[in-house]
Amino acid sequence: MVIVMEKHATDDAIERVVAVLSSRGFDVHRSTGSEQTVLGIVGRVDTIDTREFELYDGVQEVVRVSEPFKLTSRTWRREKTIVKARGVDIGGEQVVVMAGPCTIESETQLFETAKRVARSGARVLRGGAYKPRTSPYAFQGMGVEGLKLLRAAGDEFDMATISEVMEISQIEKMLEYVDILQVGARNMQNFNLLAALGQIRKPILLKRGMAATIQEWLLAAEYIMAGGNYEIILCERGIRTFETYTRNTLDISAIPVVEKLSHLPIIADPSHAVGRRDKVMPLARAIVAAGGDGLLIEVHHEPEKAVCDGPQSLYPDQFARLMDELKIIVPAVGRRI
Amino acid sequence: MERIDAEAELTRLRDAIDRVDDVLVKLLNQRAKYAIEIGEIKGHLALPIYAPEREKEVLAHVETTSQGPLAGGAVRRLFERIIDESRRVERESATR
Repeated sequence: MVIVMEKHATDDAIERVVAVLSSRGFDVHRSTGSEQTVLGIVGRVDTIDTREFELYDGVQEVVRVSEPFKLTSRTWRREKTIVKARGVDIGGEQVVVMAGPCTIESETQLFETAKRVARSGARVLRGGAYKPRTSPYAFQGMGVEGLKLLRAAGDEFDMATISEVMEISQIEKMLEYVDILQVGARNMQNFNLLAALGQIRKPILLKRGMAATIQEWLLAAEYIMAGGNYEIILCERGIRTFETYTRNTLDISAIPVVEKLSHLPIIADPSHAVGRRDKVMPLARAIVAAGGDGLLIEVHHEPEKAVCDGPQSLYPDQFARLMDELKIIVPAVGRRI
Repeated sequence: MERIDAEAELTRLRDAIDRVDDVLVKLLNQRAKYAIEIGEIKGHLALPIYAPEREKEVLAHVETTSQGPLAGGAVRRLFERIIDESRRVERESATR
């Protein structure tokens, strides 16, 4: 950590900062310039709240040099993590596409959609059984009955399954039916849920909160890893910006940024990011081109009849066309699909 | 100066610097030994390791002692690093 003192900060001001740090056992390297003094702090600086020192007289800036996240960091593990879910490797050479309906509505809907996306090359079947709906009056999901259907459809079409977990009490039931547990954007900082997911040994897909910085997102993953569960897939799904034409703004730059900062696989969800079917395909192409390890896409066999997120769900034919396009793009970035 | 002569001179000066460094390291270690003893006493008397007034005295002393060619500011900056390390060894010996 580096503390930059203001130009012409008094000796008293500098000494006060050095005294506090020294009394707490930190080594301080003082460097006096012609106008400005800089203090280099060595030790367990992650225990320091930088705001405390920003408030001292004469302090201009406190800069953290090291990242606050540890287990999620590339410094901790240089090689990329490959998450394994029922024979599907996420984070390896292959780009993995996860697809399916937003919400599991019925056996017909789920199986019809699963059959079509599996035929086009999706390896993981998505489907919500517990739904975090913005309105309490909207359909809240089929619950365990939905999970059973998801498992059956996954087995039928040889796909791994993914579904969202909303609270701790649902975890145990989900382990029976689901291969990847998804933490939604609204729960990204539900630290009790994250800690509980750290105790299980199943892959977690952690969506980025709609107002979360990349650092906050990685710290959320850190909560899960701190419990000993290292099987985490990060998923960018768009952040809130001032733009209203799209539902959210897909932060495509998060993909190369996370790739550099962390060893965890990173995928993206163009459906929630843009919220409009006609914009999903170009974003999906961009995600893969930017180095994403996979995609999470909403597909419904009859989107106009969907109880949830119909307007952003692709028709199965559109999904098939997208997969054909990806087969051209993916080899160009040195991966396979 | 011929190139050959210049190269020989460069080698001689570098050897001279190496010999000065040998002495410097010995002296720095001698200084550190005193710091360790001071740390032990500070630990015994429960005095703070960081003594800003004393550090000021040390810096003022070396700054005025220097007769060049290093400017006073340069000597001060070098000694800030020496003092940083002294503080560290004092803390280690005080908590031992």
